[in-house]
Amino acid sequence: MSEIKWEKSISDVNSEILVNLEKPHKMFYVALGTAVTCLLIAVGMVAYHTSVGLGVWTGFAPPNYWLVDITNFVFWVGIGHAGTLISAILFLFRAQWRNTVNRSAEAMTIFAVICAAVFPLIHMGRMYLGAYWAVPLPNTNNLWVNFRSPLFWDVCAISTYFTTSLLFWYLGLIPDLGSIRDRVTGVKKVVYGLLSFGWRGTARQWHHYETGYGFLAALATPLVLSVHSIVSWDFAMSIQPGWHTTIFPPYFVAGAILSGCAMVYTLLLPIRWMFGLEKFIRDDHLEACIKLTLLTSTIVFYAYGVEFFVAWYSGNPYEWAIFEKRAVGPYAFYFWTMVFCNCIFPLVWWSKSMRYNKTVSYVVCVLINVGMWFERYNIILSSLIEDFLPGSWGHAEPGLWEIGLTIGSFGLFNTFFLLFCKYFPIVSLSEIKLIMPKPLSGHGKGGH
Amino acid sequence: MSQRPGILALFKHLDTVCHTVEKVKGRQDFKDHEVFSPTSYHEIEHACGYAPSPVRWFTFVGAMTGTFTGFALPLLCDWDWPVVVGGKTAGIYSLPAYVVLGFEFTILFGAIATVLGVLVMCRLPNPKVTILDKRLTDDMFGIWVPNAALDGPQAKFLKESGAAEVKATH
Repeated sequence: MSEIKWEKSISDVNSEILVNLEKPHKMFYVALGTAVTCLLIAVGMVAYHTSVGLGVWTGFAPPNYWLVDITNFVFWVGIGHAGTLISAILFLFRAQWRNTVNRSAEAMTIFAVICAAVFPLIHMGRMYLGAYWAVPLPNTNNLWVNFRSPLFWDVCAISTYFTTSLLFWYLGLIPDLGSIRDRVTGVKKVVYGLLSFGWRGTARQWHHYETGYGFLAALATPLVLSVHSIVSWDFAMSIQPGWHTTIFPPYFVAGAILSGCAMVYTLLLPIRWMFGLEKFIRDDHLEACIKLTLLTSTIVFYAYGVEFFVAWYSGNPYEWAIFEKRAVGPYAFYFWTMVFCNCIFPLVWWSKSMRYNKTVSYVVCVLINVGMWFERYNIILSSLIEDFLPGSWGHAEPGLWEIGLTIGSFGLFNTFFLLFCKYFPIVSLSEIKLIMPKPLSGHGKGGH
Repeated sequence: MSQRPGILALFKHLDTVCHTVEKVKGRQDFKDHEVFSPTSYHEIEHACGYAPSPVRWFTFVGAMTGTFTGFALPLLCDWDWPVVVGGKTAGIYSLPAYVVLGFEFTILFGAIATVLGVLVMCRLPNPKVTILDKRLTDDMFGIWVPNAALDGPQAKFLKESGAAEVKATH
């Protein structure tokens, strides 16, 4: 990325970024209304199937239990990964463009993990008993949970991921909430005062804050790689053909970052327009995000190829049968949608003008999100639906309930994200000041 | 600390405030002064000459406690109710599967301890906070000196050093 020529100085940051606290664009209400409607429909559906049972779902019969619930779970956990990658790994690498998008990407992570966590609970049927099944408590036979189970590892990984991401996000928000407190009056001042914990901005506070932020980034960095690796073990630790493969952890992590970066772009482009933040979230910053998306897309492309090669080269007829069915069987549509959306369409970004073309980039990012959803659907469906007992083989397509819950999860995510955009700084005030020109007197002796 | 009366000098420029901080650092009449910055400029940190932050010890102790807990939890449960796996004698514990828990608890406890460390060292939450000037969290730098007056030598020195404004705080 070339050197940015800033038209703004640090004096413009607070006044121009915090416009979101004032009356928003009318499109904001349209978006929020749509999101809340989707959410309410899903809440109604969940309430209904919790009371009557999971049998209302289409194709819910052995061995096809995991289908759309776990597809959505893996999809949303994956979306979250880009937030942590941008906030932690790119912080350690001192990639300056991350300072403009990290706050909203971190918020995206937290809301995506909430959406993900909802699905295993829904999947348990009686979600109010979820804690009893997931937490290490002895059961009625006085047995402890199975600590060797990847499903239990997943509970630990997701809980740790959510907590660490939340702490990281909030620690970064404290100074910015202090800035808001100093600009507003009345009840808002009290609320933001409480939320900012009484931050004063002394050099000593910044010193401890910077140290803590660096350590949190260092702790969150292995999480980016570990969480989706552990999610992939939910599949890879089984002996199911199509799942039992060592390529899954890196393949899942690359896919997660691909979908997450595409989602960052999908969210930020309309938000940037809605709140007039073009002078801060610059085209060059978004282009850097596109480059990261392109990189992960090529890794995913490679992984798809290697997965097929290994299935063939292993000489295992059951493994190869699954892969053959994925490509030319009854679910080939899902497979080819996945390949085109995740691997072929992003190739347009090798052209610089396409990376800067917002319409093309936006469409490709949305398609990547569709493709990544189909990737998880494809992996879960093809291996589950035809397992070791041919007598239980069947055919499944997502029905009204599955589609409704998926749309509902987007409603939940967007409701949270839009509320965040209204009440919190969309761009990190303190961090964007660091990448802007330093306020020097021009006498030539500043800096280090 | 800033509850006491004193004076606050506001600076527009990073280099000016850094040079001033370096000059007042050892002076007795600037004892207990505080420096304010709108963001975490490393130049100010260097000028103030702080020792490494003790937050790192919070992180270390938290993370090590997490590692210990992460391994202890499944091992103690194994000890409480041995589950025979692969025909191995009960009491022989298999650690590799518990590495995942050890790792996750290390990160979890380390992260919580780090945030607690930042809050403790920054003296937060601070419900009795006094806002000396709203511009300090916006775009201005500040040096606050306790037990000083507007007509005193400290105010004169700060003005000469390039302060944009010097005002009294109560």
